[in-house]
Amino acid sequence: MHIMEGFLPLQWAVIWWVVAIPCLAFGTIQLKRILAADREALPLLGVTGGFIFILSSLKLPSVTGSCSHPTGTGLSSVCFGPWITSVICAIVLLFQSLFLAHGGLSVLGANVVSMGIVGPLAGWVIYRALRDTKVNIYLTVFLACAIADLCTYIVTSLELALAYPAEVGGVASSFALFMGIFAITQIPLAIVEGIVLALVFKYIVQLKPEILIRLKVFSEGKIRAAAGDA
Amino acid sequence: MMWSNYRLEIITVAAILCFCGVFLYTSSLMGDAEYAGSDTLGSSRAAELAGVSEEDFQPLVPQWEPPSGEIESGLFALQASIGGILVGWVFGYWKGQKNRNI
Repeated sequence: MHIMEGFLPLQWAVIWWVVAIPCLAFGTIQLKRILAADREALPLLGVTGGFIFILSSLKLPSVTGSCSHPTGTGLSSVCFGPWITSVICAIVLLFQSLFLAHGGLSVLGANVVSMGIVGPLAGWVIYRALRDTKVNIYLTVFLACAIADLCTYIVTSLELALAYPAEVGGVASSFALFMGIFAITQIPLAIVEGIVLALVFKYIVQLKPEILIRLKVFSEGKIRAAAGDA
Repeated sequence: MMWSNYRLEIITVAAILCFCGVFLYTSSLMGDAEYAGSDTLGSSRAAELAGVSEEDFQPLVPQWEPPSGEIESGLFALQASIGGILVGWVFGYWKGQKNRNI
């Protein structure tokens, strides 16, 4: 999902930075507040952030004959919300732009918007819609993670389409073109990522249900039931 | 009874095996697939749409590039290992806390 350095015209690079900065600022404030309120939130942040580091470094082959990588952001978004997730993503994306030439400093804003903000936000909306229903918590986490992954790539396609409208058909037709490259490749990866992160969530539920209850990730009843019979 | 405790593990392993199977099957059908990164494909499509060659895209901010694929893969492994250490450390910490409380 990285847009390469130099591949966004200056005005678009600036626009996406302007969108990203307030979200990152808000995320930083939220992060400070949550860590001050609950010391046990830090290890959970380590696990969810750790999976963003791991999964976003794995480039996997897909059915379209090209490779792409999962994002790992859904789990963090379920536990901490999209704004804190955007801060962690910004760190990962900064590492990748400085040392790996994946993405770059001018396009960092655009990449943070896709992987750190809109993707996790979409996953979080799904999670919030299902949180207080009877839907199984692991199914909820699976859907949130898969949607966060897929939406990240849809947003990347949109960012590139807006910067490079096709001569015939404009933004819509180049959006379809980029979706063919990014989103189709991503579907199988998003499904596997969702399943793996649901399993990770199961281990968190088994080892440390208290922190999930304190952060109100799911209702106490749902977490206790899952920790009891899982 | 015992199997139902590991339902999610079984689903995960099955999904990963399916993923590998689909990869082996499709890659045997598409002999000429290069498995290039979708980032690279996206960039070349952007260059086509802009009507300029890919080499004409200059970084807006100067950028260091890993001199070879070897170095790049090493740095990717470093990134993954940082994540792995974090995850393993915390799970061990929680496991230790839990055992102490029993």
